[in-house]
Amino acid sequence: MVAVLQRHKLRDFDWLLAILAIGIVSFGAWEIHNAQPTEPFWQKQLIGLAVAFVAMLAIAFTDYRRLVEIAPVLYGLGLVLLIVVLIPHVGMKINGQRCWIKLPGAGQFQPSEFVKIPVVLMLAKYFGKHRTGTLTWKEFLIGCVILGLPVGLILLEPDLGQAITYLPLLAIVLFLSSVRMWIVGAVLVGLMAGAPLAYTVGVKTGLLHGYKLERINVILDPENADKRGFGYHTWQSMVTVGEGGVAGARNSEYSQSSLKFLPEPHTDFIFAVTAETTGFVGCLLLLASYALLLTRLITDARRSRDRTGMLVIMAIVGGLIFQIILNVGMALGMLPVIGVPLPLMSAGLSSVLATFIAIGFAISVQLRRFVN
Amino acid sequence: MKFVDDSQNLRLRLRIVQVLALILLGILAVRLYMLQIVNGARYAEIAQNQRIRLLPIPAPRGVILDRDLHLLVDSRPIYTILLSREDTKGIDRYSLIKPLSEGLGIDPEILRDRFDQVKSQPAFESILIKEGAAQADIAWVDAHQLELPALRVEQTPQRRYPPNGTLAHVLGYVGEISPEQLKQPEFQKKGYKPGDVIGQEGLEAVYDEYLRGRDGFRKVIVDSRGHIQSEVERVEPQSGQDIVTTIDSDLQQAAEDQLRKSPKGRGVIIAMDPNNGEIFALASAPTFDPNIFSQRITTKAGRAEYQSLLNDPDKPLIDRAIQGKYPPGSTWKPLMATAGLQQGAISIDSSNLVCGGGITIGNKFTRCMGGNHGSPDVHFAIMKSCDGYFYRLGLKMKLEGIQAMVDMFDLNKRTGIDLPHEVISTTPSREFKAKNYPNDPEWKDIDTVYSSFGQGEDVLTPIALLRAHSAIGMGGRMYVPHLLKEVRAIAAVGSDPSRADYRQARPVRTFDRPQPKVLPIPKDQNELVVHAMWSVVNVAGTATGIKMAGFDIAGKTGTAQVVGLGKEGAEHKDHSWFVSYAPAFKPEISCVAMIENAGLGSRFGAPSVRAIYDVYYAKTRGAKEPAGSNVAMRIR
Repeated sequence: MVAVLQRHKLRDFDWLLAILAIGIVSFGAWEIHNAQPTEPFWQKQLIGLAVAFVAMLAIAFTDYRRLVEIAPVLYGLGLVLLIVVLIPHVGMKINGQRCWIKLPGAGQFQPSEFVKIPVVLMLAKYFGKHRTGTLTWKEFLIGCVILGLPVGLILLEPDLGQAITYLPLLAIVLFLSSVRMWIVGAVLVGLMAGAPLAYTVGVKTGLLHGYKLERINVILDPENADKRGFGYHTWQSMVTVGEGGVAGARNSEYSQSSLKFLPEPHTDFIFAVTAETTGFVGCLLLLASYALLLTRLITDARRSRDRTGMLVIMAIVGGLIFQIILNVGMALGMLPVIGVPLPLMSAGLSSVLATFIAIGFAISVQLRRFVN
Repeated sequence: MKFVDDSQNLRLRLRIVQVLALILLGILAVRLYMLQIVNGARYAEIAQNQRIRLLPIPAPRGVILDRDLHLLVDSRPIYTILLSREDTKGIDRYSLIKPLSEGLGIDPEILRDRFDQVKSQPAFESILIKEGAAQADIAWVDAHQLELPALRVEQTPQRRYPPNGTLAHVLGYVGEISPEQLKQPEFQKKGYKPGDVIGQEGLEAVYDEYLRGRDGFRKVIVDSRGHIQSEVERVEPQSGQDIVTTIDSDLQQAAEDQLRKSPKGRGVIIAMDPNNGEIFALASAPTFDPNIFSQRITTKAGRAEYQSLLNDPDKPLIDRAIQGKYPPGSTWKPLMATAGLQQGAISIDSSNLVCGGGITIGNKFTRCMGGNHGSPDVHFAIMKSCDGYFYRLGLKMKLEGIQAMVDMFDLNKRTGIDLPHEVISTTPSREFKAKNYPNDPEWKDIDTVYSSFGQGEDVLTPIALLRAHSAIGMGGRMYVPHLLKEVRAIAAVGSDPSRADYRQARPVRTFDRPQPKVLPIPKDQNELVVHAMWSVVNVAGTATGIKMAGFDIAGKTGTAQVVGLGKEGAEHKDHSWFVSYAPAFKPEISCVAMIENAGLGSRFGAPSVRAIYDVYYAKTRGAKEPAGSNVAMRIR
C-alpha cells in the first residue's frame, strides 16, 4: 500500500517546479560566488539548498490540510518567535535591526522569513471556507488582524523591507475572496493617481523631506542624483547592470562587486551581479525561469481541489511576485532601495528554506488534487 | 477548477494575477533592454572610468652643472600628498580644507586656490595637497585613511639649489604653475596642468623645455575606496636633459664674496669669455634663496619669506646684471672714443681736444672732475678720464654721432642673454627727452655734453656695458653673452616608436646664437683705444692700484652720479664701476663690477675685478698671483 502510494506520488510530484527551484538556487549560488569569490557564502547557499530540498520533500508529502488545521498553533509559534527575536541578547542586532536569532551550531535564522508560512496557512484557513457572496467587512478586518500582528512585530525590529513583503499575502487572498471588482479598480486607480499627488503635495508642504525625498528623487532621475550619497546604491547597481551588455562584461576579474563599487552584491544586489556576469541573455533566462515558476504555481492553484489549497499557493505566488518585482526593480533603478532578497537567488539560508517550504506546500496541494 | 466556486468569477481573477505577473516581468525585461542593450556601452565606460586611474610617474628634471661639470642644481626625492580627484568628485572639496590644513599644516588659502584651479581641468588628475611631507604628515594620512580614502602619498622629485643664494639670479627656480600661467596660450599649448612644477625664473625658465622630463604614468585598477588593486599598464618617464652651464664656480664664488663685502652689499659683477660670450660668473647682490620657491612656498613661513623679499627695499629678486640700469659714468668714454675715431670726429694723428677744466654751455659751467687737463689726446683723455675732452668730443660727434655709437654697440637693444626679463638700456634721443621733460622738450647742447660722458640719458644694464667693452677688447667682434654651454642628450624611452607613449631621444644642443656681430672698427683705431685702457691700469691711469704683474689688465673706471651734482650723503654716494678685459692684447676674460652707492670706481669697482682676475689667474696659470700684488682680496 505504501509502495503503491509512493509510486503514484512520485509520478504526480511536480518535478518541473522542484527542478526550476533547484536550478535557480544553483544558478544563484554561482552568482554568489561571482559576487564574493573569497567568501564562503556560495558554499553555505548550496548546503542550504540541500537542507531546503529535504524540507520541501517533507512538506510536499505531508497533507497540507492537516497543517492548515493546526495553522493557529503554527501562527502562535511564529508570533512567539517574532517576540523572542526582539529580546536583547537573544535577537542579534545587525545594522541596527534586531531580526536574527542565533542558533548554536546552526548559524542564525530570520523568523520574519518563516512566519510568512503560518500567516499564509492562517489566511488560507480563514478564507478557505466555501464562499457564496462577496467579501464582508468583518472578513476584511479579521484578515488585517491576522496580517497586522506579525507585521507590527517585524516593524519593531525594525525591518521595513520584510514587513512590506507580507502585504501581498493578504492582498491576493482578499482579491481571490471576492472583493468587488470596482473596489479593486478603485484601489488601483487611487494608488496610481495618489502616488504622484502625494509626492507633489508632500514636497509642497514640506512633509516629504530629507532622506525619504532624496530616495524618491533618486528613482525619478538617477542620472542627476547624488551618486556618492543617496543615489550611490541605485547608480552603482544601474552601472553594473548596464555594464553586462548583451552577454556579460568582458573583464570578470575586476567586476563591480569585487572592486566593492556594488554594495551587498551577494544579497540585495545579486541581480545586478547576474546582469554583469551573464548580460541581457542571462537576465532574460532568469526572468523567464521566474515566469515559468509562477505560471506553474498558478496552474497548480487552479487545479487545487479546494479553496484552501488554492489560497495557500496563490498567497505564496503573491509573495514571490512582489519580492521579485521589488528586488529586480530596485536593481534596475526603477524602485527605491529596500532590503528585500531576491527569492531563490539571494544568499541567505532563511530565505531559501522558507521559499522551498512554500513550494513544498504548493506541491503538496497539487499532489492531492485527485484525492477525495 | 476542482471545487465549486460561483463567487465573483475566480477563474478570471487567477488569470488576472497571472497576466499581471507576466506584464510586470515584461516591464523589467524592457528596462533591462534599455540598460544593457541601448545604453550598455555607456555604462560599461562609466564602470571602466570609475575603476581605472591614471597616476603620473613624475619625470626627474635634468640637473644643472657648471662648466667643470660640478653639480649646481639637482632634485631629490620627497614625499608628496595628493588628493584623488575622481574619488572626491561628488563631495564638496572645500569642506576638506579645514581638516587638511589643520592636519597637515598647510595654508588654507593655498588649498582653496588649488581646488579653484582644478575646476576647469579635465578629470583623472590628482590634486597636489602638500609637497615635502614629513614622516608625521604621512602618518597622519595613514591614520585618516578611513575618513579620507582619497588621500595618497607619492614620491616626487624636489629641486635643490645651492645654499646662500649662490647663483640665484642665474639658476632661477622652479615653482608650481600659477593660475594666470595656465590661462596663457603658450602654457596651454604645452599641456600643463595644475600642480605641475615648471621653471619660473632664470635658466630653469629659459631652458624649461629641455630640463623637464616627460612624465610616465601608471594605469591602475582601484576599488571603490581608491585602493590600488593592480597595474594594467606602465609607461616609464623620460628624464629631463642635463644642462652644462658656462659658469665657473670659483669665479662665481669670488664675485659673490666681493659683493657681500661691498659697502652696501649691493652691486653686480659679471665675468665673461669675450671670445665667445660664455659667462663665467654673474652675481647680483643682494641675492635670495631659490629654495624658498621650490621647497617652502606652500608653507606659511615660506610665504612670509617671499613677502619679505618682495618688500625688501634692496630688491633682492631683481637681477641687477640684466634688470638694473645705471649711468655708466666714465666707462662710457672708451665707447665714445672708438666711435669718435671711427666717425672721423677725431683721428689717430690728430685727436687732441681742449679740456679747459670744463665747459660753458649757455651760462652754465660744467666742470671736468679731474681738474684742467689742458688739451690732451684721446689716449691721455681715456687714461686720466678727462671729462672736458669728452664734452667737446660729444659736441663734435653731435647727438647723431652718439646715437650711431649706441647703435653700433647694440646699447639700444637687449644683449640676448639667455635669461628672462632682460631690460633695454636707456640711450640719448630727442624723443626720449621730449617725452620725459615736457617743460624742456628741446634737445640742447648741454644734453649732448651730459650724454658724452656717461650721464644724462645714458643708463645702461651692466651686461650691455660689458658686452660693448668686450667687443673693444676683441677688435670689434661682439658676441651674445650666454650661460648655456650644452644641453646634454638623453636616450629614447620605449621600444616601439609607433606607440603614442614612445619618448624620442633628445639630442645635444648648444647655444643657438654663437655668431658675433662684427663692428666696423679699423684695427689701428681699436689698438689705440685698447692701449689707452691698458694704460688706465698699467701706466698712470685711474686704476693703477690693481696692476697685476704678468697679467695685463685693460679697463676703465667709472663713477656714476646717483643724484644731481654736489649732493652728498651715504644714501646718495656714487655707483662705483670698473669694466675691463685681460690680457689686454689677447683677451681671455672680460669683467665688469658695479658697486652700488660706494664711491669712486677706482676704490671699489677696480679691486673687485682684480679679485676675480686673481682667481682666474690662479686657475689658468696654476700659480698664485705674482709677488708685489697690492690687493689682498684672496677668496679662499
